[in-house]
Amino acid sequence: MDITQNNAEQQHDSTQRYEVLQELGDCYSSVGSYTQAQQYYEKAAVLAPDEPGPYVGLGVVALQQNLLDDAEVAFKVAIRLDARCAKAYAGLGLTAQQRADYKQAFEMYLKCLELDADNLIALLGLFQTSCQMGSFAKVTHYLEVYLNMHPGDTSVMFPLAALYVKDGRFEESKKVLLDLLTLDRSHEDAANLLEEVEHSLAQAIQTRT
Amino acid sequence: MGISDTFRMAENDEIKAGPVVSVLIPTFNRPQYLYEALASVLHQSYISLRVIVINDGGQDVSDMVNSFNDPRLTFIDRKENRGKAFSLNEALNRAEGKYIAYLDDDDVYYPHHIETLVNALENQTDCQVAYSDFYKAYCRVSHDGSRPVLSKVVDVSRDFDRFFMLYFNHVLHVCLMHRRELMAKTGPYNEQLNVLIDWDMTRRLAFFSDFHHVCKITGEYYHPMGDCDRISVQRRKDKDAYSRNVLAIRTTRPPKPWAKVEDMSIILAADRLDKQAGKTISAVWRHTFYPYTLYLPLPESDFSKLNTDMPNLIGVPVDPLSSQAQRVDATLERCDGEYVGIVPSGYPIMKDMWIENPLYALINSSLDRQGFELEESMDGLWAAVLRKDDLQFARRSFPDLPVRESLKAAGVGLRHPDLGQIPFRFDSLLQQARSAEKDGNWSQAAQMFEYIAEHHQNALWMKGLAAQAFFNASDHARAAELSREVNRQRPTVDTLLLEAKLKREAKNFDSAIELLKNAEQILRDPISRLSGRHACSGARLPQRESARDGNL
Repeated sequence: MDITQNNAEQQHDSTQRYEVLQELGDCYSSVGSYTQAQQYYEKAAVLAPDEPGPYVGLGVVALQQNLLDDAEVAFKVAIRLDARCAKAYAGLGLTAQQRADYKQAFEMYLKCLELDADNLIALLGLFQTSCQMGSFAKVTHYLEVYLNMHPGDTSVMFPLAALYVKDGRFEESKKVLLDLLTLDRSHEDAANLLEEVEHSLAQAIQTRT
Repeated sequence: MGISDTFRMAENDEIKAGPVVSVLIPTFNRPQYLYEALASVLHQSYISLRVIVINDGGQDVSDMVNSFNDPRLTFIDRKENRGKAFSLNEALNRAEGKYIAYLDDDDVYYPHHIETLVNALENQTDCQVAYSDFYKAYCRVSHDGSRPVLSKVVDVSRDFDRFFMLYFNHVLHVCLMHRRELMAKTGPYNEQLNVLIDWDMTRRLAFFSDFHHVCKITGEYYHPMGDCDRISVQRRKDKDAYSRNVLAIRTTRPPKPWAKVEDMSIILAADRLDKQAGKTISAVWRHTFYPYTLYLPLPESDFSKLNTDMPNLIGVPVDPLSSQAQRVDATLERCDGEYVGIVPSGYPIMKDMWIENPLYALINSSLDRQGFELEESMDGLWAAVLRKDDLQFARRSFPDLPVRESLKAAGVGLRHPDLGQIPFRFDSLLQQARSAEKDGNWSQAAQMFEYIAEHHQNALWMKGLAAQAFFNASDHARAAELSREVNRQRPTVDTLLLEAKLKREAKNFDSAIELLKNAEQILRDPISRLSGRHACSGARLPQRESARDGNL
């Protein structure tokens, strides 16, 4: 075949077939068609045995069906294939959380966030497990990092504001809550918390004077 | 229309007949793929075919070919290996009908390939040549010879550009169909070439016809991941031989009259055929791709020193005491090019495009009495390209003046071309956009692809690239718009996958699944779906086909 060489060649050494199968697995998983999702993930795994993606997908499917042992195995395979697979750690966190093993869940979420501070599932999971364990030391930092990367993400603003209150950081909490209410006026929990925060701030001023 | 639709149509539509098309399939030692190639031709929706298979002294494939038992099939079983060009010429001698099409023994037509191109040539254009697009199918070649496909990409979908075709190929031979009668004008395949045989022919075809680009994907050619064993790829590794082939092709001038190319005469202004003049002649030969004849107005005594192996050289005997202007005048009487380049001995010719840049500006200039100077032109080494009529007018009007002054006196303007007047603007912009992509400047790349689509043809191809670049630049709204637009006209795996990702992101899972299923369908082996129909004709798919499907 006589034709000019094209730069595109390198880009397309990756395999579309794998991507299509993986995407189909993700779509079927999202609509709750777990059998089909599983089939596509398995095909993807055969095609690209070194890729962690299909195992993460299989783990999610197992998790959705409450097959926690299967989920754990799948996520661990993904980590064996890629020790930096953040999603697999988030999956292990979710699995442990389902088992009420909050300490393990906390560790896995933390590991995930070390690899990918952008992972919202791990972030919220970390917050939930912290609530369950009553320990918030590391959560605030990750929520702040996340919010810096996603300044308008209201799902993270409220937990962060609540943690600030818990730590007595009322001014910072107020700022976050005001931002949140600017973005979402109907957020009742935020409005209520803001009321409490303003009350606490007023009390603090009174105490000082 | 998706590929699934294409196949459905092939199975359901009535079979089409019309002018006879001869399909030429040279083969050499690839029996494992030849079967699929042949099956894809014999299952075309268009039946007026003459299929000519030429075994170029390779492994015996007669049993397999004969198993098709199809009266449209002619098999030339030559025992001696004579090369692809020889094989194509042999097949051309046996060809009949109005049109010729080509298929390599490891490539595959989709069922509407022939019908699409015949329809285009018969009903959509005055061109005598048409071509479609093919998928480049990236595959893994297994030990058993099977080649599961991992990706299918439309690597090139370029609208016809004659100037580029003269420089290099941009039309795959397998995508091509042309009038058979054109071969009488182009002459046969050049059997002296061992690479770029296809381009040599498409280039020659471009002298006689425009090419009509049908923007549909009508087949696929295979590209193994890793080291490729194609003969043409292996031969390209010998850089010297490759360059010799390129030069041989670029200096090929098919017999006149040329319907679509205007000739160029280059006049070398030299006192004697000395070392410097020799170097200039050699540089002209190495760096000129536009068809030309090089005229050497020199004293007759110098002709014995001329290298007669150099193509397209014509000596014009002149008086040793004559001026350069007189030599130009003498040459003008002889040369028949519509354009004339005047180049002094010693003019620095270091790269391609040295004369084509101003020539392209001249060809496309609407101004009368306009010439263009060459990039390195200066006092003492003045060089320019002109319309022959303008030059003749100036010389006849002011024969006593030197050439440059006579042009000025005759009102022929001389200047350098602007950036917008030089050729290959599309390629230059595409290269810049690609380089922006490489640097991760996705937004810039996306905007450039869109600009090219708007101003430099190749719209569908460029919009597909723009969609991907916008996606990478996180402008998902524009990526969605463009991928949807492209998929409506001509879906490819890339654009379907992209649109599906965006649909999934928007939580429109049903649409995403539908798009992905289309993509999955395209990625399937096109021949395995024909197995049922093919079994009826008596031939059998090789055993490995079913095993391969199981693997995937």
